[in-house]
Amino acid sequence: MDQTQRGWVIGSLVVFTVSAVAYVIYAEESPAGPSGGSFMGLVFGISGFSFMIFAALLGARKRVPTWRLGRAQAWMRGHLWLGLLSLPLIFFHGGFHFGGALTSVVMWLSIIVVGSGVYGAVLQNYLPRVMTHDVPLETIYDEIGNVRRALRMEADKLVENVCGRLGLVKEEEEGQRAGGFTALRPIAASAVPLRTSAGVSAGASAVAMAPEIVLLSEEESKPLRLFYFSEMRAFLEAPAWQRQSLGDPERAKNAFAALRRMMPPVAHPALDDLLSICDETRQLMRQERLHRWLHGWLLAHIPLSLALILLGAIHAFMALRY
Amino acid sequence: MARTRTTKSVAQRIDLNYFKRATPFKRLRLLLVVGIPLLALGWLVWRGVMRDSRVYSSGNLSNSHAVFERQCAACHVQKAGEFSEQAADSACLACHDGPVHHEEQVKADVPKCATCHVEHRGRIDIVAGSNISCSQCHSNLKVAAGQLPYAAHIQSLEDGHPEVAVKRDNFKDPGTILLNHNVHMKLIRRGPNGPLVQMECWDCHRPEAAKGSWPYADASYVDAKVTYESKDVLLPVKAGWLWPRHSMGRAYMAPVQFSTACAACHLLTFDKRFDVGVPHDKPEVVHAFLVKKFQEYIAAHPAEVRVVREPARDLTGKPLLPEVRVLTPAQWVSERTADAEQLLWRKTCKQCHALNAVKDSSLPHVAEARLTQRWMPHARFDHDAHRGFSCVGCHPGALASKETSDVLVPDLANCKTCHAPGPEHAESRCFECHTYHDWSKRKEVKPTFTLPALSRGK
Amino acid sequence: MIELTIDGKAIQVPPGTTVFDAARMNGISIPTLCHLQSQTPVGVCRLCVVDTGARVLGAACVRPVEPGMKVQTNSEKVLAARKTLLELLMADHPSPCARQEKSGDCELEVLAKEAGIGTPRFPRRTISRGQDDSSLAIAVDHDACILCDRCIRGCDEIKSNFVLGRMKKGYSAGIAFDLNSPMGDSTCISCGECMVSCPTGALTNKSVAGTALSTGADSALSVEELHKLPVFAGVSGTFLELNRGAIVRRRFRKGDVICREGDFGSTAFFILEGKARVSISTPIAHVKTEGGAVGFFKRLTSSLVAREQDKRSEEAHDRTIPIDASVDLAYGNPVAELGPGDLFGEMTCMNFYPRSATVRAETDVVAYEMLRNVLDIMQKNKTFRAQIDQNYRRRALESHLRGVPMFSELSPDFIEHLKENVELIRYAPGQVIVRQGDPADSLYLVRIGFVKVTEEYPGGDLVLAYLSRGDYFGEIGLLGGGFRTASCIALDHVEVVKISGDDFRQMVERFPTIRSGLEKVANERRAANEQRLQMVESVPLDQFLSQGLMEAQSLLILDLQNCTRCDACVNACADAHNGVTRLVRDGLRFENYLVATSCRQCRDPLCMVGCPVGSIRRRNSLEVIIEDWCIGCGLCARNCPYGNINLHPFEVFADDPETPGRKKAVVKQKATSCDLCTHLKEPSCVYACPHDAAHRVDPRKFFGQMFGQAAAK
Repeated sequence: MDQTQRGWVIGSLVVFTVSAVAYVIYAEESPAGPSGGSFMGLVFGISGFSFMIFAALLGARKRVPTWRLGRAQAWMRGHLWLGLLSLPLIFFHGGFHFGGALTSVVMWLSIIVVGSGVYGAVLQNYLPRVMTHDVPLETIYDEIGNVRRALRMEADKLVENVCGRLGLVKEEEEGQRAGGFTALRPIAASAVPLRTSAGVSAGASAVAMAPEIVLLSEEESKPLRLFYFSEMRAFLEAPAWQRQSLGDPERAKNAFAALRRMMPPVAHPALDDLLSICDETRQLMRQERLHRWLHGWLLAHIPLSLALILLGAIHAFMALRY
Repeated sequence: MARTRTTKSVAQRIDLNYFKRATPFKRLRLLLVVGIPLLALGWLVWRGVMRDSRVYSSGNLSNSHAVFERQCAACHVQKAGEFSEQAADSACLACHDGPVHHEEQVKADVPKCATCHVEHRGRIDIVAGSNISCSQCHSNLKVAAGQLPYAAHIQSLEDGHPEVAVKRDNFKDPGTILLNHNVHMKLIRRGPNGPLVQMECWDCHRPEAAKGSWPYADASYVDAKVTYESKDVLLPVKAGWLWPRHSMGRAYMAPVQFSTACAACHLLTFDKRFDVGVPHDKPEVVHAFLVKKFQEYIAAHPAEVRVVREPARDLTGKPLLPEVRVLTPAQWVSERTADAEQLLWRKTCKQCHALNAVKDSSLPHVAEARLTQRWMPHARFDHDAHRGFSCVGCHPGALASKETSDVLVPDLANCKTCHAPGPEHAESRCFECHTYHDWSKRKEVKPTFTLPALSRGK
Repeated sequence: MIELTIDGKAIQVPPGTTVFDAARMNGISIPTLCHLQSQTPVGVCRLCVVDTGARVLGAACVRPVEPGMKVQTNSEKVLAARKTLLELLMADHPSPCARQEKSGDCELEVLAKEAGIGTPRFPRRTISRGQDDSSLAIAVDHDACILCDRCIRGCDEIKSNFVLGRMKKGYSAGIAFDLNSPMGDSTCISCGECMVSCPTGALTNKSVAGTALSTGADSALSVEELHKLPVFAGVSGTFLELNRGAIVRRRFRKGDVICREGDFGSTAFFILEGKARVSISTPIAHVKTEGGAVGFFKRLTSSLVAREQDKRSEEAHDRTIPIDASVDLAYGNPVAELGPGDLFGEMTCMNFYPRSATVRAETDVVAYEMLRNVLDIMQKNKTFRAQIDQNYRRRALESHLRGVPMFSELSPDFIEHLKENVELIRYAPGQVIVRQGDPADSLYLVRIGFVKVTEEYPGGDLVLAYLSRGDYFGEIGLLGGGFRTASCIALDHVEVVKISGDDFRQMVERFPTIRSGLEKVANERRAANEQRLQMVESVPLDQFLSQGLMEAQSLLILDLQNCTRCDACVNACADAHNGVTRLVRDGLRFENYLVATSCRQCRDPLCMVGCPVGSIRRRNSLEVIIEDWCIGCGLCARNCPYGNINLHPFEVFADDPETPGRKKAVVKQKATSCDLCTHLKEPSCVYACPHDAAHRVDPRKFFGQMFGQAAAK
């Protein structure tokens, strides 16, 4: 919400005021009281329903994002404001009666849909800020599984570099990955790196160097191995609990501080890396939660709105008929 | 060894086609998006299979039509080839008759049944139309030509409703029976049952259907047949168009009759020789009765033909009659008849009636009583609904009224003390007292509706 | 004849013979390390010391015999001395050294083993002199060097190249190439003599690609056969022996595919007999997304369209397609013929770039397939070079010259004149070809390799362009002012055609129209360069720089405060490009903005380096354009430091290799990157974002306020 919305706000207020005044006048004048079938009632009903149809078309618009039918932003604003307006208009249409079975259901659906929409709009204003602030290492939600897997593999490798072979299964990678990854065809094994432009501009492409292989003895690496298998790997695989062990930043820090005391200094960089992997996993958990909040309401809003359109159309047909 | 994070390494974690994959969220959304509308549709289909169209109803039916809740087709008639299945007037008229309101009404402005009788508003009284149903014409009533005999700007009882017609413009009761309510309501010295009688309204004024004995009736007059017709007595009722109330016979007070209200005190005796009074009938009948009576008497008492002058009875100035006269029976009868008639025409009957001399006739003409039976022809009033109230509460004028011409019907303000808008007042909408349909033109509808088994729909 | 006794045996030898030779002539062997028969003895290792009856033991390899000498070669004293020497040498030797590992014949280690030396008593030298990996053929391990000087003598005396010498002193003493340049950057011609002379693993043969070429049905060439080739005439036999596996004679039947475009490889081919056809089988078309602006309901599709159907203003006109052979392919008909004496696959072999075209044998073909070390030898050989130069001049030079727009109308005889008088010069990686500010005296055409053109400005160097085969540079300097306005540096092994200033001026005199054409081009170039320079300001911020954001001219940023992570932008991009998105919604953050992974139109376009067919380039509009002949090898995707380039698969009908004349549906790939949806007039991602969170911005302008604030602080 910012001043770019001002045009819509003013327009909506005007429409609302005009229709409210019109309703009051009409309600007073009509012999049988405000009714859906009267002329003004039909005007309200048709305009309210057409606002709802426009709002529902947003879903269709998103399926053809490149067709030049108007900017997505304009459609979104229209969806919000016209959708909001549709509720009072439908109230005016029905004269604040709920009517019979079908019309009651449609009325309740309207209320729920518009209410959930307002709720969602508020969430969408507030939660992105929270996410931006709380999850600096955010990634794409749908890919969190893959990213977690990559983190797990990275952690496995780090621990193997310190403790030696752990017999952990290397998982297969599938799919066409982004970032130019897909471009690679198998290249000769001991290829010399291509001589590209010396000094890549501003250090943008610092290639991740292979982690140092430390390889401690069995005795020395035991604390890390124990810790890794008992706590950390499970945490990386399925970080279900927020408050348990590594899910809590304080406890994670303490656990690693304890480990640091038990392990020789040469392993400390690896421990730091593992701690940062834990941190990233935790952030991804937080992101998942926030994302579900941010999108969960849609599971109510969308199906109910489609049901609303369907039933509303049936109601309109039946009411006009009878 | 710090973990490095570069744009490329971050991007390479991402599957290029991630956004095309089905995620649990998308699957659930699809499921709901298909499922919930299907559910809604299924509900309607189920109701359709059950032949229950009530889902599409916008409200329950009124009290009187509640039994047809499932018979949509009773009112929603589909004309062949048309889309609309709105409740047509023809459907209403199949059971009801809704006679025209007024012949002068512009045909195009005649509202449909449903305009005022709104269904699907729940268990209400469907007859109870809103004020706007009436005021949509009456708030600005116009006539094509001529003067409008009615008030033209009536919105509601409180707004623009004219005063009761008989209370306007010094209207006078056209009745010719002389009656002084005041005298009758005071303590009466001499009554039939003894001195100091206090009469009550109920003693004379009762609705037709009321039971109970009349305290001031005379049985012989009650049973007697009269030759005058009620149309000679009563003004014609012009309110036949009003919908008769259920409490028939109790709505209005029956016209006051001599036999039941007056006879006990107002004796129609005419001669010392007889106890009976003359019949309360036309002068001709009275004359004939008198003649007959005297004839019978003289036949039974032939010695009476000898009339002895009463010494103390003559009035001054009158020529003296011989002390004894012997009359023929006919003469005696006519003499006695004349005396009785003089008493009657000049005193007894004249006490209440307006008698006019008729040229070339010895018998006077009794003016028509012209009792008003219906004071408010355009509205209906039900005394039975107000039976809890004392008569003088609304008719205080009766106690003080001395003239027949006083109109004792209460004015509109009296009604408005109770009948006003708002929940703490009595009903004040138009339909409470007025009707739209001219029930005098009512046609009887031949009932054709059959009630199929209620569990099934159409 | 001088008489002497060695180990009790009386012998006679001519005067001047060394004790070592005398012993050898009589069947007595004395162990040596620094002595080689073919070289002048220097006596530095002292392993051949013998007891000649003098005060001290003497080195047998340099001591001339004297009459009546009594020589003891294996007395106690001598043996003890030898053992100590070996032990001392072994103490510093990285045992087992490369040679010992590979072939088990490190002379030092073998001798030490024979002498029964296990772990030396002495501590290892603490200074490491390092390894030198720069040569293509020979690996240098200074720690294994025992300073026997055999390599120096081999290079000086035997091969007369005079590349090797000694450097430093004490424990840091070692051998050096030229003035201590890395071997690969020195004047070493990889003849292999030093390596053959080295007794230890200090100089070993590099085995490139892990192994020698698999021969299969073909045969590796014998040393004699190799020597028969003029190119190998001057190469040491031993070296050839060692490198035998790196060159194989291959026979191809008619119709065989010799190499396929886009494959990564490491070998070059030299045709001996037969003819081969070189062509590009990927459709010569670019990815065009259309259907956008016309109507509502037209579906957006990406398809491959050729230049005729869709002319793009930035693309090159009338070009030939530069490939990794002695001839270039014409745009309209990308087919050419290669015959005996043609070398192709140079770039692939030297720099591991992907193959630029498909070569199919038209007749039965016999060709040599060689690895880099062998090609290196050949290219350093003058005869071979002359042959290659001649080929180039004959076949490709003209088309390259004509490819320069201003030269396109030259008369044939002038072209002939030019062709005879141009110089072909090779440059090593990193070498500066021309420097900014130097007097300009020549025009350069790039025959092979990549050249970086940079200009200096206060904040650093700005890369103007990457030039590859067929591109030219230097005309600005020639025309106006006479000084170079930019520096050109070779990025990898580059060969340029140099047209001297005199020839140039001659050209200009005879063809005045050229001058105006030249001037026009030069002015255009100058204007474009100035424009670029103007955009450069100088207040960098650390993070901004470190993410390379300064390098970008256009960033796709997502405002994270507004973004609801709904993927509408990605869906729109995919929708606009036939289902393959060119933007990924992940990356590094800057402030509250996510810098999405999408082409940044970098000032220094690293994606362009290495394209085997030179199809990714940038014209003056500074937008990246991928020309029609992209073969989908994916190198640009690998080079892009942000991962902004991805490959887009297309199914096309191409000639079925098994049954010629028939077509088969195959999947070809074309590189794609964000094209700012120029066909739709507004980027689809920005258009489709419902929350006004996606923006395409010029980072300097957009973040300029932050700079201003930061600077103010």
